[in-house]
Amino acid sequence: MSTLTSVPLDVIKPARGRLGAPSARLVDHLLAGIPTLWLALFFLAPLGFTVVFSFGRNIFGGVELAFTLDNYRTALSGFYGATFIRTIIFAASASALCLAVAYPVAYFIARHTSRHRVLAIVLILIPYFSSFLIRVMSLHMLMSRDGFAEAVLNVLNLHSGPLDVLDTQTAVFIGMVYAYLPIAIVPLYVVLDRIPRPLLEASRDLGASRLETFLFVTLPMSRPGIATAVLLTAVPMLGEMVIPKLLGGSRGVLMGQALSSQYLQSQNYPLGSAMAVLILLAIAVIVAGLARLTKGFAEVGQ
Amino acid sequence: MSISTASRGQWGQRATDWGLFLWYVAAIVFLFGPIFAALVYSFNLGVVNKQTATITGWTLKWYPAAWNDLSLRRAVQTSLVLAFWSALISIIIGSALGYALVRHPSQIARKVLAGLTYVLLIVPETVIGVSLLLAYAVTRIPLGMATLVAGITPMAIAVVALIVRARVLTLDRRVEEAAADLGSSRLKTLWFIILPQIAPAVAAGGIMAYTFSFDNLVVSAFLTTPQVNTLPVYLYGSLQYGPSPAVYAAAAVVFVFTLLMLGIAALLYRLARRSGAAMTIA
Repeated sequence: MSTLTSVPLDVIKPARGRLGAPSARLVDHLLAGIPTLWLALFFLAPLGFTVVFSFGRNIFGGVELAFTLDNYRTALSGFYGATFIRTIIFAASASALCLAVAYPVAYFIARHTSRHRVLAIVLILIPYFSSFLIRVMSLHMLMSRDGFAEAVLNVLNLHSGPLDVLDTQTAVFIGMVYAYLPIAIVPLYVVLDRIPRPLLEASRDLGASRLETFLFVTLPMSRPGIATAVLLTAVPMLGEMVIPKLLGGSRGVLMGQALSSQYLQSQNYPLGSAMAVLILLAIAVIVAGLARLTKGFAEVGQ
Repeated sequence: MSISTASRGQWGQRATDWGLFLWYVAAIVFLFGPIFAALVYSFNLGVVNKQTATITGWTLKWYPAAWNDLSLRRAVQTSLVLAFWSALISIIIGSALGYALVRHPSQIARKVLAGLTYVLLIVPETVIGVSLLLAYAVTRIPLGMATLVAGITPMAIAVVALIVRARVLTLDRRVEEAAADLGSSRLKTLWFIILPQIAPAVAAGGIMAYTFSFDNLVVSAFLTTPQVNTLPVYLYGSLQYGPSPAVYAAAAVVFVFTLLMLGIAALLYRLARRSGAAMTIA
């Protein structure tokens, strides 16, 4: 059918193009132009202000536009520098742990569910779409002294006495893995589901064990999913400010929080802008790294 | 392969399968634990009107208490208004973007739009929030509902655009070409051919944008004022000085509300796919 209809359509095309071109083109330009304009105004322009201000100078009661790297120097040294490094290590390790927990879950859904697959996925998605704040808030309650986690650990003899995990970096770590676990599972499931079964059967027929098939067929073929999962977890973790604040107290300060306090408390906009730009640069490095990982596959984020 | 290794392989396989299943169950328990706890704590008596980690007794009084808390109610109202405007704007702009991402005649334009959407998804909310605050401060635009809506929409637009894009990708291009050949203008084709087909996806995207805007904390935290305060920002603020259990009651209601909205969105999306299938068969 397609070959039959495609021939006459191709013949008609030039005529139609001549007749309907100007108004059709206008509609197309509007459809692309309106979103671009809106996003330019309320997304790109503000980011531009941040970049410009990161080179500015903080003077009493305002900002003097200049070209100085002092803000970057401050943001990369002392307490802020240490926070930046810690944030990167945190995001990398929490994202890695997220993936390690998520992979078997995604694998299970892709390979071992058939009738109940939709249910299996929905159960993963409900926590993700329910309010982020509420989940972190309850996690705080569960991990606090006399809380549920303490009771369970005591019963299991894994810990005795009161549990002092709150206001530590461990609590922040647990919170990050918890909050971003669902969004790591989904892209992994999508790629695992798309790996053609015959490929796996071929691998088995050619004598590979299950483990070998997994290591040399499944794992390499799930690289795009791994890349997307890293992107969706590590990137927001770099800017995360709510989890460190609620679960980490003063000992778990990460970059997102240091950055937001430059705006909300110290009113040092240039320094805050420099921190924001540094976070964006770190993200650019991650994206470039992931692009290498998925070379030969469709683009990241698909 | 000898019989003994085959059976050993089978045993190993069964153990792996069970291990995977248990792992999945453990992950679900881990994910749902805190949500379940929030529901349980909303019935906790607490001590002197403060929430406690131990259950001190059961009560229903926090639900009316949350309802009678005027600042809490005002925050809910603000959130509902914010989510409405944000969803409305992102339905219009996000659908246009989602369509243009697939069908814009110029490949360069499509690439630019895709890049823009991609960047939108990977810039952390904290960075978006501080940038907007800075931009409003520099341009001396006073913060209010309009600035808050404008600040939330870019991310909500991306949500709608991705859902609509997925639907447009499945549309049969020949139907549009046939309409054009029969003399329909581009605008007419959009309105009478495309829109009916993508309507359920638009609606599902709109609901997603609605819940996203309603729940948004980080960007809102920078753009709210004492006059315009959203529910998540209010809850976040109340956590700093020991929340009352009424906060958990409000949270429980929000959770059920979100779940309902997403259920509707999922239903619409399924309907869309089914009617889409019917259309291609017809």
